[in-house]
Amino acid sequence: MKWIGALILICTTTWIGFDMSNRLGDRTKQIRQFILSLQMIEAEVVYSQLTLQDIFHTVSNKTAYPINEFYRQMTHKLSDVVTDFLDVWDEALNRLMKVSALKKNEQEIIKQFGRSLGQHSSLQQQKHIALAIHHLERELDEALEQRDKYEKMMRSLGVLIGIFIVLILF
Amino acid sequence: MLLDATILFQIAGIGIITALIHTVLKQVGKEDIAQFVSLVGFIIVLVIVIHHLADLFQQIKSVFLLKGF
Repeated sequence: MKWIGALILICTTTWIGFDMSNRLGDRTKQIRQFILSLQMIEAEVVYSQLTLQDIFHTVSNKTAYPINEFYRQMTHKLSDVVTDFLDVWDEALNRLMKVSALKKNEQEIIKQFGRSLGQHSSLQQQKHIALAIHHLERELDEALEQRDKYEKMMRSLGVLIGIFIVLILF
Repeated sequence: MLLDATILFQIAGIGIITALIHTVLKQVGKEDIAQFVSLVGFIIVLVIVIHHLADLFQQIKSVFLLKGF
């Protein structure tokens, strides 16, 4: 009985460690996906000049979870009568923050990007998209650095802390 | 006798694990946390040892009939 308990404890902490290290990797993937989606928006704005709702629809079909969920929600919300675009954007963004591994910095960048969306000519809009992509790329670099640094540490710390607690309770 | 052996292994294990955590944390540049972990490990071992030392003194007292003092 004692051994089963010890085993369960070690398994749990190991799992927590792996989950934390996976979250570090997820962050880089999701930032990359968001940059990709911004590039798609740029192409749509400059070349096909569709409405925002149609743009979000095409982008949501071409991206992966959880970014596509964000754009799908935007498409859905924009099909109703919208009084304030920023409210819709912020709400969808808050929902995205709950399911993704993105952090406050990325949230702020995406929020600022929403402020510029639909306010300018396509040339101006293109510049704003380029700016957002530039900011996100800087965040991506930082996220990559953090992942390389802490990914292994999280894994080994999970196992070690499990064994440590078991030894103390023995 | 068996009990003594488990205590020895327990303390040795805690020491080894603490050293490993210290090394891992030091490698990624979290020296302050590494120091803290070592300190915590040391304190835990100290508590275990003191607990058993108290047992020992109690035993000595009872051997020399000093229980009332």
